[in-house]
Amino acid sequence: MKLHLRVWRQKGREAEGQFETYEAKGLNPNMSFLEMMDVVNDELTKEGKEPVAFEHDCREGICGSCAMVINGEPHGPNKGATTCQVYLRSFQDGETLTVEPWRARAFPVLKDLVTDRSAFDKVIQAGGFVSVNTGQAPDANAMPIGKEDAEKAFDAAHCIGCGACVAACRNGSAMLFVAAKVSHLGMLPQGQPERGERVRKMVAAMDAAGFGNCSNQYACEAVCPKEISADWIGRMNRDYAVSAVKKL
Amino acid sequence: MLLSSIGRKWIVAISGLLMIGFVVVHMTGNLQMYAGTPDKINLYAHLLHSYPIILWAFRLGLIGVTALHIWGTISLARENRRAKPLQYAVAGRKSRLQVTWTSVTMVISGTVILGFVVFHLLHFTAQVVDKSYASMETAVGGVAMHDVYRMVIKGFSNPWISGFYLIAMGLLFSHLRHGAASVFQTFGLRDRQLVQVIEVGAWILAMALFVGFGSIPVGVMLGLIRP
Ligand code: HEM
Ligand code: SF4
Ligand code: FES
Repeated sequence: MKLHLRVWRQKGREAEGQFETYEAKGLNPNMSFLEMMDVVNDELTKEGKEPVAFEHDCREGICGSCAMVINGEPHGPNKGATTCQVYLRSFQDGETLTVEPWRARAFPVLKDLVTDRSAFDKVIQAGGFVSVNTGQAPDANAMPIGKEDAEKAFDAAHCIGCGACVAACRNGSAMLFVAAKVSHLGMLPQGQPERGERVRKMVAAMDAAGFGNCSNQYACEAVCPKEISADWIGRMNRDYAVSAVKKL
Repeated sequence: MLLSSIGRKWIVAISGLLMIGFVVVHMTGNLQMYAGTPDKINLYAHLLHSYPIILWAFRLGLIGVTALHIWGTISLARENRRAKPLQYAVAGRKSRLQVTWTSVTMVISGTVILGFVVFHLLHFTAQVVDKSYASMETAVGGVAMHDVYRMVIKGFSNPWISGFYLIAMGLLFSHLRHGAASVFQTFGLRDRQLVQVIEVGAWILAMALFVGFGSIPVGVMLGLIRP
């Protein structure tokens, strides 16, 4: 099979970017999207041209590196899948695909499809942790947690920090990511002592990083490869208000 | 914290909810146009105007709430535009991104509604659009009062004015179809089990307001509401 690609090329942070077109030929429909990018890059290298820079690591949908927008859809056409888990059989033979980096002011392009997502790290550093004294590991089951709560906390903890939510949002809002991180700790007993402070600090860091504001359109939830629910954003809104009122 | 992203979202939601409360009461009051007698709505309007202090307190409160709503939404929307400097060259499919039309046009629908509210106040409250409204008098049970019933009929006899009212009410539907459901999310009351109920409920509320408000100009134009 073959595909026509229009790929965003940008030399560096300050450089002007533009689309370049490539013909990807001799593809197997069972190749992953990243494998196709490897084929394209091999060709480019053979021709003595600069390969397309893109991020990838695990290639099994758990690390969140493989950020690409395919035809305006972060992580491509399939629900609940990262770019590395998108296979060419999802496309038509001969289709034209436009491949772009995440677009958001808080995620500046570093090169081609690679963006700087360290704004997420700043949000985590602001409060996405629990403070514990070091020492022996606690006894298993010393702190009982109901099955339901454990499952829910785990649903939120599934977030892999890929940033597709920001990429999909017309407002470049990071609220799905931040809500997932605020909530997975906020659901558990270990997270309670810092619960109020955590949500306030993480939201402040999110605002400072230049992300937009949620306007309840839920494109984030639709593209999230881990299908994190937008209900977490509601929970964060509530947690934030409760903690703000308590602080008065 | 009130000025943070979430703080301002709360301000927008609370002010929006208060405005919804107002429009629901206002629409219910208007339905007295169907009472079969002009006296009903005329007495109601007379009652509302008989305590100027309460009336003005209410008006100022409503103006304040509206101002907060507009300030909140505009400041959030400006940040949103700045946060997304470049849109994608190819737009994703709606089926994949699940973004509704009503949600992306909130600023447009809101701004037209604001323009409408200003016109509406000049039209029926200040009565400067047609000076003759101010002198329309009637008497109910020997008490002289303003003839609101005939003023409304006269107002909606103009097809341009009726048309504008209908367009504005259509946009109010659009604004509240998204806005009323959004309030639940901003308050943190939306969850998996409730999503359908909230979305359908917001649609019904918005539609009821559209039909309730919109039926009056339509009724006058069709001659169903007569002097
Ligand atoms: C009758 C008048 C109005 C009513 C009843 C109303 C009601 C609402 C409600 C309930 C919301 C949802 C709040 C939330 O996010 O939870 C909302 C949002 C919004 N309103 Fe209004 N509104 C009115 C007028 C206006 C006007 C005049 C504007 C003009 C700027 C406006 C602009 C917006 C915008 C942009 C949003 C989206 C905010 C966001 O979620 O980011 N509204 N409105
Ligand atoms: S919430 Fe979903 S889309 Fe957003 S960073 Fe986490 S995994 Fe990625
Ligand atoms: S490369 Fe790790 S999630 Fe795709």
